[in-house]
Amino acid sequence: MTPVDGAREHVDNGKVCVKTLYPMVPDSNLEMLMTRYQEGDFAAAKALIDRLSPQLHRFFLAQFASRADADDLLQETWLRIHKVRHTYRPSEPMLPWFYAIARRVRVDHYRKAIRTTAREHRLEEMSDVAAIPGESDRTDDLEALLAPLPQSQREVIEMLKVAGMSLEEVARATSSSVGSVKQKVHRAYEKLRGKMSAMGLSKGRSGGLS
Amino acid sequence: MRDREIDEALERAAQAPHEVNPALLERVVGSLKSSMRPVRPLPPTWVLAGGLVLICAAIALAGAARAGFYGIEKLSVLERALIFPTLGILVWVAAVEFVSEMIPGSRCIVAPGALLKIGCLALLGVFAMLFRDYRTEHFVSAGVACLMTGLLHAVPTGLVSWWLLRRGFAVNSVPAGLVGGTLAGLAGVTMLELHCANFEALHVLLWHTAVVPVSGAAGALVAWTLRLRSGSAAHERNSPE
Repeated sequence: MTPVDGAREHVDNGKVCVKTLYPMVPDSNLEMLMTRYQEGDFAAAKALIDRLSPQLHRFFLAQFASRADADDLLQETWLRIHKVRHTYRPSEPMLPWFYAIARRVRVDHYRKAIRTTAREHRLEEMSDVAAIPGESDRTDDLEALLAPLPQSQREVIEMLKVAGMSLEEVARATSSSVGSVKQKVHRAYEKLRGKMSAMGLSKGRSGGLS
Repeated sequence: MRDREIDEALERAAQAPHEVNPALLERVVGSLKSSMRPVRPLPPTWVLAGGLVLICAAIALAGAARAGFYGIEKLSVLERALIFPTLGILVWVAAVEFVSEMIPGSRCIVAPGALLKIGCLALLGVFAMLFRDYRTEHFVSAGVACLMTGLLHAVPTGLVSWWLLRRGFAVNSVPAGLVGGTLAGLAGVTMLELHCANFEALHVLLWHTAVVPVSGAAGALVAWTLRLRSGSAAHERNSPE
């Protein structure tokens, strides 16, 4: 279960440490809303949509999706969640369940896009876009900050930092082991360190990252 | 640059407000309203896994009862005490993993590929330890017959297991198919151990154990084909003409 005070693990010089972050909503509230949603409470469903949509939308945006694609993916995710809402079990953490479905929707979306428009080339171009100066230099923008990372590392950082999930929860959402998640976080931090150092964001500039 | 500074940069970026178009949210809420009704959550993992183990045991026993319990009758107490508990543990682990694959956000105790490898290696280890008769009479004909028998029992196990978990939702269908196939293959091996009285080491090591990877591969292939077909069907539905 996720601690309500937001205690989270993070990687520091290759070691996983605990760090306090800011969960957007206490998980117990979300789980209670989800239980009521399963019982057919429309107000609970609406509350869940209002609370979780921004972070899910951001999750899609950070995965190379355009704003329009992110809108479509968000809508598709909620439809899928609604269809399989019985698969959530109240004793289990909720965010991994949500994000596992969101990942599935994203993968399906890209498979469909590849079939229709030979999307591979566009994805490569989009990867290249990440390196365009002026986009990636905006360190106050999470999407731009994560742009140099490959998708697997980006989604892990997104779940840890935006959704405020623990390593165990990220492992559940990505159907992998905690060790694999730690490795991805470590590699992502290595890349981010290189990028941010290159941008001249040094220790002396506390609060000057924006 | 220290990791703490990266953390701070990420936190600051994550804290930036992010809004979703309210019209989109209204649309999402509206699309759910018409189908809002209570649903019954899935039972706990141990209940579903227990059901899968019972299915495996029932099909293996029914198959052996029809074909004859020649194998278990000929096995020594030590052989029975090593083979069947090993199969039991593997079936239980595969069942729990299959349930995990069918429920989004579940904890994976072992990766699907690793489960297949561990299952095969465990069986090979036990068989190699117990069977030392290295003659090979009718190696291919007897072996293919055993492989087919094992697979014939894996098929109904796979189908009934899928039926039991039909309310689940596999976020990764191919690994789920691999695990389901592995579980079904283990049921096939269990049937063979109950029935087959051919204790030639190479026969058991190759043809009995082969049921597990062949069944696992078949499960993954079926899942992949179904995913491809469902993707094509969705594509056709979405095409203008």
